[in-house]
Amino acid sequence: MATPMIELDRVAKHYGNHAAVAEVSFTIDKGEFIALMGPSGCGKTTTLRMIAGLDQPTSGEIRLWGRRLNEDAPWERDAPLVWQSYALFPFLSVRKNVEFGLKQRRLPAPERRKKAEEWMERLGIAGFAERGVDQLSGGQRQRVALARALALEPEMLLLDEPLSALDPHLRVRMQSELVRLHRELGITFICVTHSHSEAFAMADRVVIMNEGRIQQIGAPREIHRRAANRFVAEFVGGNNIFTGTARVEDDGSIALAGPVGTVHAPSPLEGGIVTGAAATLVVPADRIELAAAGTGCGNEVAARVVTVEFVGSTVTVFLETEGGGELHAQRSLHEMENTPLAVGQPVVARWSPQQGFFLPA
Amino acid sequence: MSEPLPAPATGPTPLKATSRRATGARFAVFWGAPPVLWQAAFFLVPLGFLVAMTFWSVKSFRLTPDATLANWTFILNAGFFRNAYVYTFWLSALTALIASVAAFPAAYTLAYKVSPATRRFMIFMLVVPFFTSYPVRIYSTQIFFSPQGIINTVLVPLGLGPLQVLNTPTGTVVGYLVLTLPLVVLLQTFALANVPRILIEAAHNLGCGRLRTIGTVIIPSARIGLIVAGTFAFVLAFGDYVAPTYLGGSRPPTLSILIADQVKSGNNWPRASVVAVMMIMTLMVVMLVMIGLAYGRRKERA
Repeated sequence: MATPMIELDRVAKHYGNHAAVAEVSFTIDKGEFIALMGPSGCGKTTTLRMIAGLDQPTSGEIRLWGRRLNEDAPWERDAPLVWQSYALFPFLSVRKNVEFGLKQRRLPAPERRKKAEEWMERLGIAGFAERGVDQLSGGQRQRVALARALALEPEMLLLDEPLSALDPHLRVRMQSELVRLHRELGITFICVTHSHSEAFAMADRVVIMNEGRIQQIGAPREIHRRAANRFVAEFVGGNNIFTGTARVEDDGSIALAGPVGTVHAPSPLEGGIVTGAAATLVVPADRIELAAAGTGCGNEVAARVVTVEFVGSTVTVFLETEGGGELHAQRSLHEMENTPLAVGQPVVARWSPQQGFFLPA
Repeated sequence: MSEPLPAPATGPTPLKATSRRATGARFAVFWGAPPVLWQAAFFLVPLGFLVAMTFWSVKSFRLTPDATLANWTFILNAGFFRNAYVYTFWLSALTALIASVAAFPAAYTLAYKVSPATRRFMIFMLVVPFFTSYPVRIYSTQIFFSPQGIINTVLVPLGLGPLQVLNTPTGTVVGYLVLTLPLVVLLQTFALANVPRILIEAAHNLGCGRLRTIGTVIIPSARIGLIVAGTFAFVLAFGDYVAPTYLGGSRPPTLSILIADQVKSGNNWPRASVVAVMMIMTLMVVMLVMIGLAYGRRKERA
């Protein structure tokens, strides 16, 4: 097996009795776009800072191409970071900011200038080269921070919440620009974010963390389709989570008597669910269809519309069953325009049993 | 005034708000006034008097109001004034420089390398010297450097002495440092502690080692505070009378000694005033230049 580029081997970071990061292990391959995602305080930023050498692991080992990295000072590492607040040097011009790292590497002035020029051009900030950074907008500062890091032509780029300080419209643009940069440069991007939409839109693989521990690692689709646990299912959103009592059917599938009545789903591959046991079923909201009447096949739940929320081109419909069970469905705006729903209107929510999956107990 | 008058029907609310604001302003003026009045009474008025006095004359040892430039022409053309001026300026600048350089490692350590508890304790210890009045501290320094003092008692048997510090310019500078060094360390510590940590980390992250970061990021970021600290040292030293008298032996005289001399010998308050006004003007120019240095944008950025 080829050596992965970056390995975190049971890396932990303790502050007194508090474990900011508790025994985290994962590997990153060359050229991957990895997102470290989780709520604030989950340890994602600390993990990133340990890779940069700005924080020292309490235990465990960080390796780069198989070589232990723990003792390398931050300035000996090749892992430039783009800070959430940009951390540009306010006493330097844009050009000098971009040249800063190159100067530390004692690159001769003409070469430095040429490289800085190239990167400023590439990121569309060449026009502001002589300005002070305090004269720039947030989006422009972000570009300076990116140029300053990328001018070093590193083999990895670390990004700490790169989009959260930007206006919404800029965020979307920068997001696709980061993806494009990643594709063009072919270097490893490690990006910390609390937003699952950002992580899922940009990353090849997502590492979901909570309370210092990894909850799940996988491709965005995988995580979305197969949450590893309740935390992930809730955190990524868009999931209905039903907890109830299981009954193994004759064909091996599972019937779950829960808050929305009895619904069916296939038995998990690893098995483990027996009749009478408590089980948690996840049904992605976008897999639930809404109809005026039932057809008698698949899972069907009679419910009433509670609220209809418009989020861009998708619509989330919140429903309540006769027995008080809650569920929600995500439909396209287009579809909703054809069959408008009124609050209080009775509908049948239905989905194929194959769309649901049980969380490991 | 485009704002329409409030209609009677809207009730008294807008009026109330206005009067509350006015009350607030009166309140601020009331509590803000004493320091302003104090400064006016004990700084501006005497300063005006001082300037006026430079145009008076002394007739048979008596001050007489006058409108003469004689004091100015005498002092500005006097060799002893020019020598003292250059000497005082030079020693004060040297003090500011030595204090700034000597304080920096200590301030750096206090700002970055010790725990907050240790930092608080050390800051307290830096304030302790100010518990004792400054002349007393200068006297004790005199004892240290006297021919039979502690320092020479140690140095002479080692063949390194005797060290002649008292009654030399070195003695004056030592005295100036006794006065200014704790303050410079304090001001520098605060200046360094206020440098955003993230900029230091950004420098490290971009390949800048610890020592280089001092020059590339820390000093430029703390520039205002560091310049203010040095300027304070200069200002305090420039006007000091105690150190040049008791440690420097009044020879050569500094400007403050010159003022005392003018008053003592011949009761020449007008000439002393000229020296004092020259000192004040010098300090103002120095302050303006330093503030310009501290806050000024770099003209050349590329």
